[in-house]
Amino acid sequence: MTASFYVGLRFATHRKRALLLSLVGVVFGVAIFICTQAQTQGFAQYFIDSTIGTNGALVLHGRFRPHYGVLLIPSKSASRDYFEGINNANEIMRVSRQFSEVVSCSPVLRGTVSARAGFENAPVDLYGINPELHLRTTDLAKELIDGDLNDFRNNTSSLIVGYRLADALGVAPGDTLQLLSPSGEYWRFTVAATARSGVGSIDGSRVYSHAPVAQTLLNKPFNASMIIYKLLDPDRAPALAARFDNLFQHSTESWQEREESTLQLFLMLRLSTAVTVSLIILLAGFGIFNVLTMSVLSKVREIAILRSMGYRRSDISAIFLWQGALIAAVGSLLGCLLGAAMTWGVSQIPIRIRGLLYANHFLVIWDWRHYFWATLLAMVAIFIASYVPARRAAQLPPVATLRGSSV
Amino acid sequence: MSCELCLSCRDIERYLGEDESRVHALRGVSLDLESGTIHAVVGPSGCGKSTLLYILGLLDEPDGGSVTIKSEPVSHLADDELARRRNELIGFIFQFHFLMEDFSAHENVMIPMRRLGQLTEADMRDRSAALLEAVDLGDKLDRLSRHLSGGEQQRVAIARALANDPQVILADEPTGNLDTRNSQRAFELLANLVREQQKALLLVTHNRFIADACDWTHEMKDGRIIEARASR
Repeated sequence: MTASFYVGLRFATHRKRALLLSLVGVVFGVAIFICTQAQTQGFAQYFIDSTIGTNGALVLHGRFRPHYGVLLIPSKSASRDYFEGINNANEIMRVSRQFSEVVSCSPVLRGTVSARAGFENAPVDLYGINPELHLRTTDLAKELIDGDLNDFRNNTSSLIVGYRLADALGVAPGDTLQLLSPSGEYWRFTVAATARSGVGSIDGSRVYSHAPVAQTLLNKPFNASMIIYKLLDPDRAPALAARFDNLFQHSTESWQEREESTLQLFLMLRLSTAVTVSLIILLAGFGIFNVLTMSVLSKVREIAILRSMGYRRSDISAIFLWQGALIAAVGSLLGCLLGAAMTWGVSQIPIRIRGLLYANHFLVIWDWRHYFWATLLAMVAIFIASYVPARRAAQLPPVATLRGSSV
Repeated sequence: MSCELCLSCRDIERYLGEDESRVHALRGVSLDLESGTIHAVVGPSGCGKSTLLYILGLLDEPDGGSVTIKSEPVSHLADDELARRRNELIGFIFQFHFLMEDFSAHENVMIPMRRLGQLTEADMRDRSAALLEAVDLGDKLDRLSRHLSGGEQQRVAIARALANDPQVILADEPTGNLDTRNSQRAFELLANLVREQQKALLLVTHNRFIADACDWTHEMKDGRIIEARASR
């Protein structure tokens, strides 16, 4: 144990009330930071998992329109035109499966139609799928909340309906649902199952049918309007999208690009919470600054004594920096423990969310990085708060104090 | 008595204050301290006694002249080096004891040893106990210094000054705050330790009896040593 650490420890423990107040500020600052980050990121992660699980990490759709070299006057916008539909979906899927990042892929024929059940009508987002490929690529099997998947597999005139849409139309598995084709004909289907992805916009409009049926109903000349990919590492989707763009000359969109606006909303919420909570840690830092400044002022005589006994200026600084470090270490440790307890407590609070997301309780995420950043933030704030008083203590001239106390 | 030169200063000049309040506190002071000797500095208040003590103790820098410890000039050294020499070679005793109030007697004596960093915790405790035993405080090792009497606190300060076995002990009116009996006792204790362990002691005092008991008495007036006389 160094001399400065020992003296710093003893100074700190002599001022128990001040030490406790400083600790409380740090503990609550760290704990609230962790808890709020776990919450905001919990909702964001749930959304990401749901959207990737339902719509894939990567989607390849429309074919790029050729540029024909010099004939085309470049437009100001960087966007490219493309044709709807994929003509050679099987070949594209065969080549894409060669990429190690691709786990599986599924062709989807997508179109917007109108649905009718009884007296209820609603616009629906029709997904014509190959059940086997789609179940391998998405979490559709896990999302079913009612009905039987085999009923859908074995019956080409059956549908899987988003649970919110089913509620709106008043249908359940076994009921009949009519879809209006672009040519104005109503097609009759049986609801095989209802699904809940957790994302409100999907659950309120999505209907799955068999791809050949969808192609006929939508009267499309191609059998796939997009290909959905499941990736080994969804975070690498943007890089793979750029490669697929070039390789297949089809517009390819990563989930990050697709959900950009929603993700930005979550990011803004998270950052704004982090900034707000950081203020608590900053306030704790001010508290520590005050406590240590008062400590320096009250220890002027002791500092002079230590200097007379051969303690260097850096030793005196270290005494007060160690006190800050002690508060930071104990405060961060207790803050992390309290933060974990608060996160668990919040995750148990029942809450009914039925809008953007579907949740029955607060969603939290357990991520070591929250604890790391909270601790780092506390350490930096406390170091800055300790540095000024420590430096001031080191600069105190011992002779003036010793002389002032002598007769 | 050994004649080895422990500490000396030559032609020390020191100004205190600034501009109009500037005072010429020391005017060409020279002094030699040999091991095993006790020197007293006497004189009226404000004559520069404490200023000389702090310069010799490397706590203050002179504006002119030089300080030498064991034949090594130290005036030009950096602050950290001065602190190291202060820790290793010099022991301070102050009038008001200047103990760490919330530290025990043991802890107070161990403070210089911790900075020196040459002993283990156990060795430091043993040495501290031996020093406190030597000043008759063997039964109050773990008592907080604020709970000790004035005489006991000054004895802890003496033990602390000896903690790192310094060559030189500088005492600024070490008995100034004690009654006659305790003054006499503290001085005798200090004098015995200095003579037994062949250290050099320079003490500033207003006590004529204590000054007379020292080997040398240096009388100061207006920043000068006007007379240096051997007491025996």
